[in-house]
Amino acid sequence: MSSNDEYSDNEYYDEEDEDVYDMEDDGSASEMELDGTADYDPSRPSRKLYEVDYDTLTQEDVGRLMIADVENISGIFGVDPDIASLMLRWADWNKEKLIEKYMDNANAVSVAAGISPPEKAPEGRSQSSSSRQNALGPRRSSARRGAQDSVKSGKTKLMERISPPIEDAKFVCPICFDDTQTETLALPCEHKFCKSCWDAYITSKVRTEAESRIACMGEGCSLIAPDQFVRSALEDSETWERFQELLVRHFVSEMPNLKYCPYPSCTHTVSCPSATKSSLATTVPIVNCGASTTHSFCFGCNVDSDHRPVICAVAKMWLQKCRDDSETANWIKSNTKECSKCQSTIEKNGGCNHMTCKKCKYEFCWVCMGPWSEHGTSWYNCNRYDEKASVDARDAQSKSRASLERYLHYYNRWANHEQSKKLSVELYAKTEKKMEEMQVTSELSWIEVQFMKKAVDEVIKCRTTLMWTYGMAYYLERGNEKELFEDNQRDLERAVEDLSELIESPFDPEVIKTLRQKVTDKTVYVQKRNEIVLEDTAKGFQEGRWIWNVPVAGLD
Amino acid sequence: MDARLRRVNKEIADCKNDKQSNISIELVDSSPFHLIGAFDGPEGTPYEGGHFQVDISIPDSYPFQPVKMKFITKVYHPNISSASGAICLDILKDAWSPVLTLKSTLISLQSLLCSPEPRDPQDAEVAKHYMTSKSSFEETARYWTQIYAGGPGKEDMGKACDEGLRDEVVMAGLDRAHVDQFEALGFERSKVIDVLRRMNYRGANVAQINDDRVVEELLKS
Repeated sequence: MSSNDEYSDNEYYDEEDEDVYDMEDDGSASEMELDGTADYDPSRPSRKLYEVDYDTLTQEDVGRLMIADVENISGIFGVDPDIASLMLRWADWNKEKLIEKYMDNANAVSVAAGISPPEKAPEGRSQSSSSRQNALGPRRSSARRGAQDSVKSGKTKLMERISPPIEDAKFVCPICFDDTQTETLALPCEHKFCKSCWDAYITSKVRTEAESRIACMGEGCSLIAPDQFVRSALEDSETWERFQELLVRHFVSEMPNLKYCPYPSCTHTVSCPSATKSSLATTVPIVNCGASTTHSFCFGCNVDSDHRPVICAVAKMWLQKCRDDSETANWIKSNTKECSKCQSTIEKNGGCNHMTCKKCKYEFCWVCMGPWSEHGTSWYNCNRYDEKASVDARDAQSKSRASLERYLHYYNRWANHEQSKKLSVELYAKTEKKMEEMQVTSELSWIEVQFMKKAVDEVIKCRTTLMWTYGMAYYLERGNEKELFEDNQRDLERAVEDLSELIESPFDPEVIKTLRQKVTDKTVYVQKRNEIVLEDTAKGFQEGRWIWNVPVAGLD
Repeated sequence: MDARLRRVNKEIADCKNDKQSNISIELVDSSPFHLIGAFDGPEGTPYEGGHFQVDISIPDSYPFQPVKMKFITKVYHPNISSASGAICLDILKDAWSPVLTLKSTLISLQSLLCSPEPRDPQDAEVAKHYMTSKSSFEETARYWTQIYAGGPGKEDMGKACDEGLRDEVVMAGLDRAHVDQFEALGFERSKVIDVLRRMNYRGANVAQINDDRVVEELLKS
C-alpha cells in the first residue's frame, strides 16, 4: 500500500475500514500520506528494548489527518466537506460508526449532527435507502453552488448570507437591537443575526469556553455552525486559529493512537500506535512530542512523565499507596506498639508503663513489652528488659511490624530519590557556578567543562529510574528474579551516589584534569548501569519474568 | 454605543413599557449592569400572592454568556437554595441563548415556581421534603411566601399557641408533636428542629426513622 516512511493512515483503523477505502477512489487515500511526518521518523537506528516507536506530529500534520478523514467521508456520502466534518465531529471521528448510522438513517444523522433543522427530518423516512441517497445528491450540489437559489433552499444551503439585506431593509438584530447593521448571517435554520453578534458569540465560545461546537444562537436551536461559517463570521484571525486548535484537540482526544502533548501551550501531538491497552502490561511508552527535549510524557497514563522501568498499572498502584499510607505508616511506626497478645495497635498517650489492652485485657509493660505479672513488686519501673518473656513478646511484635517496615524501607528510598530529584534545580545552579569557576582557575574552555552538566543530567535521569525501581521492587514477589533486579538496582544506585558525590565535592584546581577524567568515566558507567536496569526490566516484562505479590489491574 | 449597553438599556425600557407581564426591572445604582427584577408568585401555587425579588448582574460578555440571577427573597423551592437564593435552571447555564432576554428569563423563573424539578435539586433538603410529603412541603412554601414574600396570612394555620416557636417548626415543615416529643427528652428545641429537618422527619418517613437514631443524631450534634 504505502512505504514504511509514509504515514499510513490505515494503521489507525480496524480491518473493516479497508472496505471503506475500496468503495472510494484511490485519490483520497494518496492524499492521506503526510510528507511532513517522514522527516520526523528517523527510523531510529538501534531502538533500545525499553523504547517504543512513535511519531511526532505538528498541529498541521494532525490537521491533514483530519482533512483526509473528512474528504474520505465527503466522498462516500457525496456531501460538502464542511458537512462531512460536522458529522465526523458528532460521531467522535469514528468513521465506521458514522457510516453505519448514515446508511441506516441519513436524516437522523444530519439532524443529530446539527446540520439540518429537525422539522425537516421526517421527509424521506419512508423512502428506501437508495432513494435517500439520491435525496442527498442535490443537497451537495446546491451547497457547492452556494448562492444559487434552489427549490430546497432552507435545507440545502450551507449558510445564508444577505449582504446587504434587500427585502427587509430595516433589519433589527434580535441580540444587539441594532438596526444599522447591514451584514447578517444565518445557518440553514434561518435564525438571522448580525455579523458582529455572531463574531462576539463565537469569540466568547472559543475563547472563554474552549468550545469548538458552535450552536446557533436561536433559542433551543441545535444547529452547528460549519467551519466556513465560523471563518466568515470571525474578524479576528487569532480566534480562528484557536478554533482550529480546539478542533485538532477534539480529534486527537478521540483517537486512541494519538495524544496531545500535556505541556502548557504546546500544540504537538504524538502518534504511538504500538501503545495499545494490552501492550501497557509489558511496555512503558515514554514519548517526546518533539517540540522540546523536556516535553516527555508517558503515552499510557498520566501518573508521571517518566516512570520507567515500572509499567503504568504498578506505578499507579505504588503512587496511590504512598499517598494513602506513607504518613499514616510513619506515624504508626513512631507512636504506637502492638499488644503482644492480640496485636491491636496501641498508642500510649499518658500514664505509667503498666498497660492494659483495651481489647483483650492483657496486662503488659510498655518498656519491655513483657507480661506485667513478671514485674512483680517493682511497680512502675522496668528492670527486666532481657527477661525471656519480654524478648519473646518483642519478637512477636517485630514480626507484625515487618510488613510496615518493609513498606517504609521502599518508601523511604523512593522518597529520598524524589527529594534529590526535586533539588536538581539547585544542583544545576551550583554546577553552573562550579563550571564558571573551573574556567577561571584552570585552562579548560567552556566546551571542556560541559562534562559537569552532562554528569548532572545523568544523575537526575538515573534518580528517576531508581525512584521507580523501588516502587517496582515493593510489588515484586521474592525470588531469584527479584534478587537479580535488586542487584542491578544496587549497582546503579552505588554508581549514581558515587557520581553524585564527585560532582558535589569541592574541587581542587590542581587536579582538575583527573577530576574531569573521573567524572567522565563515571558518567559513562552510570549511563551504562541505567541502561542495564531499563533494558533488563523491559526484557523481563516481555519474558513474563516479573511476578507480582499483589494482583495488578490490567494483568491476568 | 457599546452593544451590551444598548441591549440592556433596550431590555429595561421594553420591560417598563410592558404592562401585561407584571415583571419589573429596577436599577440598583447608576449602573445598568446590576439590576433587581421582581415578579409575583404564580397563581395556584404556594407562592401565590408573594412578590419575589431577583438580583440580576450582567456579565461583561452578555448576551453571549448567561446573565447571573439569584433570588433576594427567600423561597422554599427544590431548585432554589433556601440559604443563598441560588437558582438551578438550565437556561441560566448551558441552555442559555443570546436571544433570551432579562424579561424572558424572569418569566422562566416565574414558571420554575410553578413546576419544581425535585430530581435535579439545588436544595437537597427541600427536594427531599417535596418528595416525601408534597402537602407538608406546600404548607412550608406557603408559609415562607407569607413571611418573606409578603403573601397573604392564613387564618386557619394555627393550632396556635406559642407564636415564636410555631414559626420555626412550620418553617422547617415539621410536625409540632414530633418536636415536642424530642424536646421533652431534654434537648434544645432549636437543635431538635435542626436535626429533624436534616433527617427529613416528615410524612411517611417518620415511621421509617427509629427514635434511637434521632437521639443519636441529637447527641452527635
